[in-house]
Amino acid sequence: MPDGPLIVQSDKTLLLEVDHDQADACRRAIAPFAELERAPEHVHTYRLTPLGLWNARAAGHDAEQVVDTLLEFSRYPVPHALLVDVAETMSRYGRLQLVQDPVHGLVLHALDAAVLAEVMKSRRTAGLLGARLDETDVVVHPSERGHLKQVLVKLGWPAEDLAGYVDGEAHEIGLLEDGWSLRPYQKQAVDGFFHGGSGVVVLPCGAGKTLVGAGAMARSSTTTLILVTNTVSARQWRDELVKRTTLTEDEIGEYSGTRKEVRPVTIATYQVLTTKRKGVYTHLELLDARDWGLIVYDEVHLLPAPIFRMTADLQARRRLGLTATLVREDGREDEVFSLIGPKRFDAPWKDIESQGYIAPAECVEVRLTLPDHERMTYATAEPEDRYRLAATAAGKNRVVDSLVSKHAGEQTLVIGQYLDQLHDLAEHLGADLITGETTVRERQRLFDAFRTGEITTLVVSKVANFSIDLPEASVAIQVSGSFGSRQEEAQRLGRIMRPKADGKTAHFYTVVARDTVDQDFAAHRQRFLAEQGYAYTIVDAEDLGVAR
Amino acid sequence: MATFTGYLRARSDDELVALLVRRPDLATPHPATMASLAARATSRSSLDRVLTWVDALVLQVLEAVVVLTPRTGAPSRQDVLAAVGAGPDDAPAVARAVDDAVALLLLWPDDDGALHPAPGLVDALGGSVAGLAPGGEDDGTDAPGGTPGPVTRDDGPLAVLADAPAAAGPVLDALTWGPPVGLVPPPGTTAADAVTWLLAHGLLVRGDGRHVLLPRDVALALRGGRTHRAPALAPTSADAPVRDPQTVAAESARAAEHTVRLVRQLLTRWEQTPPHVLRGGGLGARDLRRTAQGLDVDDAHAAWLVETAAAAGLLADDGEETPSFVPTLEADAWSAQDVAPRWGALARAWLTSARTPWLVGARDERGALRAALDPELSRPWVPRLRRAVLDVLAAAPVGAALSAADVHAALQWRSPRSVPPLSAVEAVLTDATRLGVLGAGALAAAGRALLAGDDAVEALAADLPAPVEEILLQGDLTGVVPGHPGADLEDLLDLAAVVESRGGAVTVRFTADSVLRALDAGTTADDLLARLSAAARGRVPQPLEYLVRDVARRHGRLRAGAASSYVRADDPALLAGLADDPHLASLRPRLLAPTVLVADASPGELLAALRARGLAPVAEDAQGSVVHAVAPERRVRARAARTSPVRERPLPERAASVVATLRRGDVPDPATSSRTPDPRHATHDAGSYLTRSVDVAHATAASRRARAARTGEAAGPARARAAGGTSEPADLLVVLREAAQARTSVWVEMVGPDGRSQRRLVRPLKVEGGRLRALDPQREAELTVAVHRIAGVEPADTPAS
Repeated sequence: MPDGPLIVQSDKTLLLEVDHDQADACRRAIAPFAELERAPEHVHTYRLTPLGLWNARAAGHDAEQVVDTLLEFSRYPVPHALLVDVAETMSRYGRLQLVQDPVHGLVLHALDAAVLAEVMKSRRTAGLLGARLDETDVVVHPSERGHLKQVLVKLGWPAEDLAGYVDGEAHEIGLLEDGWSLRPYQKQAVDGFFHGGSGVVVLPCGAGKTLVGAGAMARSSTTTLILVTNTVSARQWRDELVKRTTLTEDEIGEYSGTRKEVRPVTIATYQVLTTKRKGVYTHLELLDARDWGLIVYDEVHLLPAPIFRMTADLQARRRLGLTATLVREDGREDEVFSLIGPKRFDAPWKDIESQGYIAPAECVEVRLTLPDHERMTYATAEPEDRYRLAATAAGKNRVVDSLVSKHAGEQTLVIGQYLDQLHDLAEHLGADLITGETTVRERQRLFDAFRTGEITTLVVSKVANFSIDLPEASVAIQVSGSFGSRQEEAQRLGRIMRPKADGKTAHFYTVVARDTVDQDFAAHRQRFLAEQGYAYTIVDAEDLGVAR
Repeated sequence: MATFTGYLRARSDDELVALLVRRPDLATPHPATMASLAARATSRSSLDRVLTWVDALVLQVLEAVVVLTPRTGAPSRQDVLAAVGAGPDDAPAVARAVDDAVALLLLWPDDDGALHPAPGLVDALGGSVAGLAPGGEDDGTDAPGGTPGPVTRDDGPLAVLADAPAAAGPVLDALTWGPPVGLVPPPGTTAADAVTWLLAHGLLVRGDGRHVLLPRDVALALRGGRTHRAPALAPTSADAPVRDPQTVAAESARAAEHTVRLVRQLLTRWEQTPPHVLRGGGLGARDLRRTAQGLDVDDAHAAWLVETAAAAGLLADDGEETPSFVPTLEADAWSAQDVAPRWGALARAWLTSARTPWLVGARDERGALRAALDPELSRPWVPRLRRAVLDVLAAAPVGAALSAADVHAALQWRSPRSVPPLSAVEAVLTDATRLGVLGAGALAAAGRALLAGDDAVEALAADLPAPVEEILLQGDLTGVVPGHPGADLEDLLDLAAVVESRGGAVTVRFTADSVLRALDAGTTADDLLARLSAAARGRVPQPLEYLVRDVARRHGRLRAGAASSYVRADDPALLAGLADDPHLASLRPRLLAPTVLVADASPGELLAALRARGLAPVAEDAQGSVVHAVAPERRVRARAARTSPVRERPLPERAASVVATLRRGDVPDPATSSRTPDPRHATHDAGSYLTRSVDVAHATAASRRARAARTGEAAGPARARAAGGTSEPADLLVVLREAAQARTSVWVEMVGPDGRSQRRLVRPLKVEGGRLRALDPQREAELTVAVHRIAGVEPADTPAS
């Protein structure tokens, strides 16, 4: 194909020219095996990674398909070494299988005896494998199922887990589709997950991941343990489940710092599970409190390390991971792959946005020139204080002021990191403030008031980063953040991406102090937004009419 | 009876020219006579040399002839075909090998077409040929363990086998096709009994205490008269994967372009920070590692780049007191060229370089690390190996991607007596891939042209993708050139962006640093934006424009400059006066601030000048004065190429003139040799150096004959020559070798240590290592004489006087 839309680079990136006639067909063809790395306006960059190729294998694609796709759409001859590498990498998946043997229980079965020999020789598998049955089979202790899978991914021989799942305790759950129904992509996600057994569903913020969870629970119809990031999020899950499914409040338990209820459907926070007392995780028994048939992990990219370790012991139960991005700031993507499972469904933000399921958004960075005395303070400050000084520059209040008044009448969130600054801002704007210190009851009240439009401006700290459903928020202004975290950026953007009743564009402002580390961190985060394909501009605070 | 020399004399000029072209050592220095040519062609060193480069099949043919000759007499072509086990399909290949052997003068056919080995060939091939035990009678040496006894029954050695114990079969089977030596089985086993039986019947002979040997005759009988199981046919590359020509071209072009870019980066780096030369002449391991990291390649790759750039004369030792490696003047000319000619320079240097960069980083015999650019890393055989490897690839079907093992097998067949190590073959293939001579493992058009001496630069240029002058600029501050960027665009990207990935396309990122670099290079923000928007499809994205403007805003807010001395004073009026003082103008004083003045003179000069104006300055501590040193640009002229080019074969014309001389020098009667130059020679005589040098050789030979005539030894050379005798040292070796082979007797005139000569009739056995071993039948003794003591030789087929 002399002028295909795809350029295959030898460093395993794929460049897709989006204005090309065949761009759509090509995107659909490469999506199963290539990870979308960035999606700015003209050329989207995908990357071929071992995990991505193994995900594709897990989804039933073979190397030949991948190679054919690359050859079909590539504009230039595809680097030969890359094709060889793709075939080689993909052939590594599934040469080892975890299977249930009627006599010996869990067994690691090799389709290729040499691979088993190599794996058994590794020091990492020592102690995980039991007696060798023959050339191609070796016994695995059931408790090491997850651990072994982790090790095998690290060794480059990911095992296909065919050992199946325990059914768990049956519990009738149905979807109450009265006046709404699962969107097509949500249905596909549920199907993809259930067909695969365990795995991760990747959907953008605001695309209704909770409903995918509910759909999976209805399909499974078993007792379910849902792990979420915090209490507010837990309450939202509960409300959503009560509203969308046949479950009643009595069937849903909350297991958090304040309440310890174990019911057929239990929602627990990561925090309570990872609480240690005298070096011991005190709430581990929850995992065995019932015969769970399904475990749902919300925001998989935030799973703390101890949860990984606990999950390693839960390999016999179905696991569903929900996330907006597989990118982890700590680089532990391979553990998500081996312990939760391969990616089962993925839909790019822009696709869902173009289908109208999430609101289009426009991102603006406002650069504020610091007055001379602040610049002097900044220049002479200790390095560790610099970010705080820059992020909490007094001038930001005026910028926020002008932005809020520009969007008067729209539901506006002002998001920040530093409590002093937020207190200031709340006072300045005459708006309510939610921080970690605000009681859950008060938070609920303020969020409810915001949802109903009773209040239009809300100043929030990072407690609002995750899983808080504020459908009508259409303007977000962030004044400070945690050192340029891309994931935080995605979360904050997600707050304003629920489709608006009138279909209008959401606005996402970041206020930064010019020529400071604030600007450097902002550059990092904004790169992420631009890579996600959001229109992105930079303006000077002066242009908004804010005086220096 | 026909002789080797006689055969050689009867060759046509064309045949002789072909011989000299194929065996260049015979023509250098020019041989004077046919006899000396024959002597040279049968000398051990020349035979060893030619045997080194014959293929496995030719070797088989030679072995067959050597083995058959003493048994059945000189074999015919048919005999040889049968002996190597050639079926009808293989016959053409074997016939080709026989022709080769004859053309190389390793075999010579007599008038009946029977093939004779060249004198000396038996020794050159060595004792053990075709997996057979050393032969018994042909060279006068006995097989170890004494002569076979009872087997010499009329009905052949195998007749006794009918009574042999069952275990004898496997024993013989194991030894039949060689190697002919076996370990004696432990006593008490059936195999040991069988061996004892075989020994008793002469089918095996004892070697040393623990080994037994299968005698050559027995082995040949077991082989059914054949010498080889099957002819050694050239390995085929039929099962090698074949690459798509487009892929080969694209990969080759990509690699070539990449290498050229890396070399350019290497030169830039070394221009800025030249690495030191080690005492041994090489590049330090740490410098190599640093270079590798800077170029983002591994150490081995960096070593290869450095070596290739040096081979192309782009880098050299600057010869300073503490020497460094720096780019040469030639590097500037090189850098100014397009990609293809730049590649051409590197590729030619690589092909002919004797360097072995793959050894860099390994340890030598003394355990020291081998350094890149170390003079010790040259090996004279490397250029030949590179050509040989590429030859194998060129001989394979177009697009065939041979593995290192395939190439190695082919080389092994081509010259079994000189097989390069597999690791060297692998290294050559790796280098060729890096250079783009190979693409996806197959020989690319450019590589083919390079090997053939055609225009490789043009071939590469044809494969390089058409340049793209358009870039897609995006809001995340990246840009993508959807193809190979043209020169202008490449310059722009070099200037203002950081390359993130290269391949079919180039992706770049604009950062504050990269934009700053462009501004530092003298571009203004408007310039840069204008160039970007000219190259961009669509308009320049707002964030990029903002970035450029923002960087430009900060650019130059700090200023730095050079001054040699300063004056400071609390009184601005005083300094203002000094700045405008015409008497100080030569010091170029200027005010930096109302109370600070700087000048270009040294503090001492400045102080003196101020004092001369009647002021009373005091010197200050030197701290605060700015001295800005700019590193001078360093260049040296490249040394003459260190690598000696592969010696060229004599061109056919040169060989022709050698042959012409031979003919002239070989006229039997001096009377007829009065030079009647034929028209051909006359044209050559027209001042050509070659002809002149031939004349010199001719003159030398003539004067030598004259000298021999004066001394009058052995009643004059005329008589000796008429009877096939000679006193020419080179010629008498041939006579001796021929006699040894034909097992005839010769009269030998020997000069003793006291200077007296004596004539003896002897049967030569072997001429080797400057000595003649011969049998004196009259005294029934063996004697060994140094060849330099032999003054003349005369065949004794006419009864000796």
